[in-house]
Amino acid sequence: MASLKQFRLPDVGEGLTEAEIVHWHVKVGDVVTQNQTIVDIETAKALVELPSPFAGVVSELLIPEGATVDVGTPIIIIDVAPASVPLADVAPAPLPEGESPAIDDLVPSIPAVSEMSAGRTANLVGYGPRADSPVRRRQRQVPVATSSRPTPSWPSVAASVAAPSLVSAEVAVMQDDDNVVSVLAKPPVRKLARDLGIDVQLLHGTGPDGTITRSDVEAAADSSRQAAPTRPLPRGGEERIAIRGVRKATAQAMVNSVQTVPHVTEFTTIDVTRSMRAVTRLRELPEFADVKVTPLLLVAKAILLGLERYPMVNSTWDEPNGEIVVKHYVNLGIAAATPRGLVVPNIKNAEALSLPQLARSINALAFTAREGRTSVADMQRGSFTITNVGVFGVDTGTPIINPGEAAILAFGAIRDQPWVHRGKVKSRSVTTLALSFDHRIIDGELGSRFLRDVAMFLEDPASSLLARL
Amino acid sequence: MAPVAIARALNMGLRKALESDPKVIIMGEDVGKLGGVFRVTDGLQKDFGEDRVMDTPLAESGIIGTAIGLAMRGYRPICEIQFDGFVFPAYDQIVSQLAKLHYRSQGMVPMPMVIRIPFGGGIGAVEHHSESPEALFAHVAGLKVVACSNAADAYTMIQQAVISNDPVIFFEPKRRYWEKAELDADTPLAQAVPLHAARVVRPGRHLTLLAYGPMVKTCLDAAKVAADEGHELEVVDVRSLSPIDWPTITDSVRHTGRCVVVHEAQKFLGMGAELAARITELCFYELQAPVLRVGGYPIPYPPSRLEEHFLPDLDRVLDTVDRSLSF
Amino acid sequence: MTADHGALTSERDLVQLLTPEGERLEHPDYPLEISQDELRSLYRDLALVRRFDTEATALQRQGELGIWASLLGQEAAQIGSGRALLPGDMAFPTYREHGVAWCRGVGPENLLQLFRGVNFGGWDPKEHNFALYTIVIGAQTLHATGYAMGMQRDGAEDAVIAYFGDGASSEGDVNEAFIFAASYNAPVVFFLQNNQWAISVPEERQSRIPLFRRAHGFGFPGVRVDGNDVLACLAVTRKALQYAREGQGPFLVEAFTYRMGAHTTSDDPTRYRLASELENWKLRDPIERVKAYLSRNGLADAAFYESVEAEGAELAARVRAACLSMPEPKPSFIFEQVYAGGSPLVDEERAAFEEYMAGYEPASAEVGH
Repeated sequence: MASLKQFRLPDVGEGLTEAEIVHWHVKVGDVVTQNQTIVDIETAKALVELPSPFAGVVSELLIPEGATVDVGTPIIIIDVAPASVPLADVAPAPLPEGESPAIDDLVPSIPAVSEMSAGRTANLVGYGPRADSPVRRRQRQVPVATSSRPTPSWPSVAASVAAPSLVSAEVAVMQDDDNVVSVLAKPPVRKLARDLGIDVQLLHGTGPDGTITRSDVEAAADSSRQAAPTRPLPRGGEERIAIRGVRKATAQAMVNSVQTVPHVTEFTTIDVTRSMRAVTRLRELPEFADVKVTPLLLVAKAILLGLERYPMVNSTWDEPNGEIVVKHYVNLGIAAATPRGLVVPNIKNAEALSLPQLARSINALAFTAREGRTSVADMQRGSFTITNVGVFGVDTGTPIINPGEAAILAFGAIRDQPWVHRGKVKSRSVTTLALSFDHRIIDGELGSRFLRDVAMFLEDPASSLLARL
Repeated sequence: MAPVAIARALNMGLRKALESDPKVIIMGEDVGKLGGVFRVTDGLQKDFGEDRVMDTPLAESGIIGTAIGLAMRGYRPICEIQFDGFVFPAYDQIVSQLAKLHYRSQGMVPMPMVIRIPFGGGIGAVEHHSESPEALFAHVAGLKVVACSNAADAYTMIQQAVISNDPVIFFEPKRRYWEKAELDADTPLAQAVPLHAARVVRPGRHLTLLAYGPMVKTCLDAAKVAADEGHELEVVDVRSLSPIDWPTITDSVRHTGRCVVVHEAQKFLGMGAELAARITELCFYELQAPVLRVGGYPIPYPPSRLEEHFLPDLDRVLDTVDRSLSF
Repeated sequence: MTADHGALTSERDLVQLLTPEGERLEHPDYPLEISQDELRSLYRDLALVRRFDTEATALQRQGELGIWASLLGQEAAQIGSGRALLPGDMAFPTYREHGVAWCRGVGPENLLQLFRGVNFGGWDPKEHNFALYTIVIGAQTLHATGYAMGMQRDGAEDAVIAYFGDGASSEGDVNEAFIFAASYNAPVVFFLQNNQWAISVPEERQSRIPLFRRAHGFGFPGVRVDGNDVLACLAVTRKALQYAREGQGPFLVEAFTYRMGAHTTSDDPTRYRLASELENWKLRDPIERVKAYLSRNGLADAAFYESVEAEGAELAARVRAACLSMPEPKPSFIFEQVYAGGSPLVDEERAAFEEYMAGYEPASAEVGH
């Protein structure tokens, strides 16, 4: 029985990748001894004679003279056990059709550990490239450990020094999403947020340059404490949740609104750097000492001023009576995401409040909503709504008008962005306002004027106030 | 006993080492009758003979290469390189031979050797006499690298280096050679702080200053001044540059939340680079500010009239401390 | 060049005890008493070492060794000097001293481990008094000198032999070794195999005077010996070692020989030297002259040569089998013995590496050890 062995082209000179077959010293049927020169090859370095690694009969020359082949390519097959005939004068017996003896490779002796990494092949001491080994990652059998905190794994050598105290590192790994806005926060604040289960990406920073501070995280944690405990998502399958309560009411209201009210949405992107400064300034005033001042306060104020100038925006389409009801009070609604769902409580007679009072009302409204204690009365008779989508880190949206009202303003995330300011590109705080209005009541011109005035106020709160006075 | 200067403490430690083990020998240029250019080996040849305290030919590679042969034969050579800038003729023997022999012999050929190198500037010297090449050695696997900063440590650390079975590059703060400190020569070596341990030399809670060798004193001075300004700086003497005692260092940084590394060597790829990278990895969530570095500029060591501008001093340390605290 | 130059290289400077034609010569300074058995034994050493070297070259050509540095042509210099060593003597080789290793009892298959890339040295230097191969040219001459200084301090009556080549003679380390050895009167024999070529650069580029004469400038004796004459190499090295043992200090032996093969298997000598040069040196082959002497004097018959050849074939087969079955080191072997006293950093990285490797365990389970 024939026993065929293959000889692959070795790397004969420290990192060579290919060689030319210059001259075969043997032909098919020749008897060769071990270490007998069988072929001359030319590498980038030298003309080299290759000795046969086997004794036997040449079964096949796989590469013609003149061809250049990669290291690792089989070049000759030698029959090391030609069928019981004296080795000296035998031509290899042709194989019966369909029968092909197994071909042993020379040097399978080095295990294939490295074969799995980066397409290297280890069949030769010198590693040549191999055409059929694409560059790819190996398949991991065990996932990469997601230890959130590296620890030095060796004990202190200082006898007097205790081993480092390690805070428990068992925290969920945050899912980073390319779309999520990068927020500024120091590592310890991020750690605190992770430990408290707060996503810093959703917070609004009150620190220098808008950085998220420890107290921002703590405040967020306080407010989410009421939230229903999250439970792990069951894998696979489906889940059926009854439509009721706030979800049902919201769905009804939104469908009604979209089906009955012709919505128009307009957008404007504005530089609110001065508003941000004003927010900072307000925080320093004694009148605001006990209240949280956020950009939302100025947005609310801008709306109130805008509604004063354009009362038609603060109205209701009374279909049954064929009338438009223009309101001389502003019940300013602020949409809030709560554990129970979306609620839109409103501040009654907001137009009559001073700025500190307005701030307190917003705070109280938000607090009550987060506590889940918003009453039905709080949510009724609204006349205009603000939805602060910026707290979710998004830029803008097309808000749906709260039924019974004529318009709604969406207020997006405030970001530091390059902005042309006084003829130069500067880093400015920029946000986008989106106003949806009921086209039955409000024409494009009115809507646009209203939105532009609100924007102007936010771009330059001081001078807008002056202008008004 | 009376306060002892670092040079003298080293001399006492070397004497102890020579007394403790007949295989310990000292080799170097001018280490015999002269007692070394800094007199660290003063009187040792007289007491231990020329076979054990050897004035060698003036050839650094020769000193280290023959010391390697002596170590193969079972000796424990302590080689003195006269100045930091003169170690490079021996660099091949240190990096290619000394560092690798234990590894390439699979543990059959240990290299219990010490190479003493006075390092750092501030002494108004000519070229090649003021350099801080420690990172070039700490980078090499197979070497252990330490630096002493005071007399008490000098005395124990040199003895610990001699009994180490690995090659130890021993950096001595040459501008502090004559600074004195109390020293307890009676404490058994086994009770001393281990050779490769860092040490908190001044506790504080607002920021950690990491230093070694000559900069430890600079940092202690800075900490005193900062205390008057209301900032309590913790000073950690890193002592061992390879391996580094991470537990002690990270304990301190986790406690203070801020860290400034100070060394004379050029900042670029200096010890501070490794310290900052690893501290950031290990203390990421405790850091209130990025790890900052104070060190030499990316230039050759300047002429001595200008060296004060190159060397980190109290003001540069405190400026960087302020930067860190402002985050 | 001055007229003196010819005198400096005159034939009478060359110690020779056996001519290329197999004629025995006497030298007044280097008498050699040698038995028939010893002569046959030297022949056997030369032949077996060459056979081993041939097999190792073939193994490289067949992809089993990363590289091989052949000793072809230098057998007499290595066997002659190697056989001159006493058990207590210590040898410091370059990376081509396969013949000396043979004399020191290091198994030829152990030499292949370095060249196959499974480790950096497959023997215990203390067990064989044969240091690990040194790749950096000339570095080991300083180790040899230091080791000799240690022997001196121990009061040992042994000597050290440091191997190096004509190229290494230009290295600072070799010259510093000469200086230290002379200065401390260290018992070290510097055995310089001048094989004429430092890869592609001829000896003339390294030295303006015959290399053995360098010793005089350093203050110790230097002798040039026919490096292809195993008897002369044996006699001269023996005397040099004795000189060192007696406390007279270092000694330089220049074995004038020829690298008949390439520098290593990665080299191509046809690019820089003439084939005629090799043909010339083939006439001075170190093995043929011993064979001629043995045959001419009836000290060996065909059966003897056949038995040596058979032994060579067995050796080759043994070495080949050992090479092919050499176990693959475990991946984490790379972390072992970096430090005698261990290192927390190495331990940490090793643990991380092992964890990383374990991530692929099922796929690589087929890899047997």
